[in-house]
Amino acid sequence: MKSDGVLFHAKHAFMPNSLGYCGPDKKGQIQRDLEGNRSDDELIMTLQKFEAAYPFLKLIARSAGRQVFDYSVPEAYWIGNRLLDLVPASDFYSFSHHEIKGRDPKKVREVFRHLDGTAPPHHTFYVMSTYATAVVPDGLNVRNEAKRKIAEVVDNCRISWGTVREVGKDELKVEVRRVSLDDGGLSLGRPAVRRVGYNPEVRPFGAVRAGDVVSIHWNYACDVLTPRQAKNIVRYTDADIRLVNRLMKSEESRKR
Amino acid sequence: MCVTRAGKVVSTSRGSARVEFFDGRALDDVDVSVVDAKKGAFVEVFGNLALGVLSPAEAKRRKQAWAEVAKAVEASR
Repeated sequence: MKSDGVLFHAKHAFMPNSLGYCGPDKKGQIQRDLEGNRSDDELIMTLQKFEAAYPFLKLIARSAGRQVFDYSVPEAYWIGNRLLDLVPASDFYSFSHHEIKGRDPKKVREVFRHLDGTAPPHHTFYVMSTYATAVVPDGLNVRNEAKRKIAEVVDNCRISWGTVREVGKDELKVEVRRVSLDDGGLSLGRPAVRRVGYNPEVRPFGAVRAGDVVSIHWNYACDVLTPRQAKNIVRYTDADIRLVNRLMKSEESRKR
Repeated sequence: MCVTRAGKVVSTSRGSARVEFFDGRALDDVDVSVVDAKKGAFVEVFGNLALGVLSPAEAKRRKQAWAEVAKAVEASR
């Protein structure tokens, strides 16, 4: 359903927008619409102004023959589902050159060359590959403090997931596996409990309970995942990490 | 989602900087400690972390590319 897709998308785009990292300055409006469970034209127009997320949705929708805000489209982008497999590598390559602001065309070429067209239009892959091709001095040889900061920003920026252990008034204690970075590349660490924010006024968080699996973006619980989504986010994230580590290894050997 | 944005460091304070981006926006709390960027440097920022320092030529190219793609995105909306 389109309205469900709009709200699902808005839930995941909300926190980076409220921090000023992307999209128009509309956090108040997005929050009000999420709390009111409203997916009106004004919210859609706001979501269309996100510089990267909206073009990605259009790419996936085009390839899958779906509407941009069909629920399965933002679900593919943020969580991962089989629609990602329907995007031809050539379309993603062309899209990455012409429809995404700010990316260096040389780096886009490197990503596609090293990964033989296996790059998926998945948010987590975009986040991790951006780090892998950034101009970080000395690549993987960066000092430990830099590694920690890089891993933290990658972990916050990807969509992660966690199992709720305790429900507080406006915080959840969730068991998560955070991204770490070492000489072998990116990986997920051991399960650990952390606190994340959430909004009980946003459905279905009024009824969130221990044992639920939630999606998390910038330390904020976005939505409660279905068992299928919980399985998919693990599967697609693991695949993204494998691809990005391959990419980093080729970057390293190119620099040597 | 976060986009990689290029911009100029206009002030710094203890590893944190105000960066003015080529899209006209700015962030006050960009962590520039990983790349050790100074005032006047052009940086590539992801979320709130500067991941690279750009040469003036590369920064100019990024600025032009940003403007062109922004125009194309606006036209296709």
